[in-house]
Amino acid sequence: MKVLFFTGKGGVGKSTLSAATAWQLSQTGYCVLAVSFDPAHNLGDIFGVKLTHKKKKFTKNLYLQEIDLETAASEYVRTNVSLLTEVYGYLQSFNMDKYFKVLRFSPGIEEYAALTALEKILKNEVSKYDYLVIDTPPTGLTLRMLALPRITLTWVDQLIRLRKEILNKRYTIHNLKGKYEPRGVQLAYKEEDDPVIRKLFQLREKYSEVNDILQGEKNSVAIVFNPDYLSLRESERLIKGLKDLQFPLRVAFNNKLTDENNEIALEVEAKLLSAGCPKRIERVPLIPHKGISGYMIEHNLTASFL
Amino acid sequence: MKRHGFVNWIKHILSTIDTSHREQAAGLTEFEARELENIFVLLLMGSFTGIPAPPSFIAAELLPHLQHEIKVLKFRAENASDSLAEMAGLLGID
Repeated sequence: MKVLFFTGKGGVGKSTLSAATAWQLSQTGYCVLAVSFDPAHNLGDIFGVKLTHKKKKFTKNLYLQEIDLETAASEYVRTNVSLLTEVYGYLQSFNMDKYFKVLRFSPGIEEYAALTALEKILKNEVSKYDYLVIDTPPTGLTLRMLALPRITLTWVDQLIRLRKEILNKRYTIHNLKGKYEPRGVQLAYKEEDDPVIRKLFQLREKYSEVNDILQGEKNSVAIVFNPDYLSLRESERLIKGLKDLQFPLRVAFNNKLTDENNEIALEVEAKLLSAGCPKRIERVPLIPHKGISGYMIEHNLTASFL
Repeated sequence: MKRHGFVNWIKHILSTIDTSHREQAAGLTEFEARELENIFVLLLMGSFTGIPAPPSFIAAELLPHLQHEIKVLKFRAENASDSLAEMAGLLGID
């Protein structure tokens, strides 16, 4: 499965272009899942159907889904609370686990929730579709969400290093004294006996997989911009952010071109190229809405993704 | 018979010296191990102490296995002002 991310400033047309790309790919015969992570959903509006958190069949090989960040956050909290209630199981009998619900309002919960939803799709849908087309949320949230697997890996690696040092010390003490049992508790001194380091290895494996998919050959990030300076500034920041995260930015769409804005379009393109924008820039003309469905664009968008 | 008793006595002395040296060497390593365990749990539960924390699910996943480390954290918090004295004791400074 190939994964295509459509990123860009709000209002540049990433929803329209991602919907049109998904449609065109499905028309070529590929099985496609189009998912919107943008809280201001309009994937459903573009296709003229009502979408929910669960995927919906649009044609025989095109499925649509709108991730509801509220629902995703609640799901994420539920998973974490179930982890906590496993430890503090007795709280359930006092009906006190409801107090954990306040976690829903923790700072940064949206990124975790969005990433968990993305992980779930990557894990469960990988064999069913040829393409996963993702319409991303606003730039800030997208970058934070995409950065999370790497941040997690950095932390997990640091914790593994520290844990190994602890186990080494325990091993030394065990060798010197014959056994190491502070306050009568026998402590693990080998990696294979220590549940903490085993759990850390599991976490590393899980997030390496997600990170490998995001940075891998089969992932493409497309940046959508308009011929105007606001869009240029945000795109420059986005390009830098994606580069720092080592994400494969493969194509750029210069969207909403007209005869009037041609000059500024070329200027914006030149500036973005010097900021590290991919050489492949597709120029998409402004589509006059004459009653056609938003996803039917004449311009071929799929060439860069085949 | 007497000679045998003497050898045993020497063996006993040597083993006591060995144990004492091992205890002394292990004491310092035990102190280091405890400090590392304390740092480990402090890092992991940073939000508990007000320092930047790792993604919260890491702490939630490891929580069931951290009984010992949390005890160490509590012990260190109670004896924080006394750790210099503990170091001095370990290094044999009067």
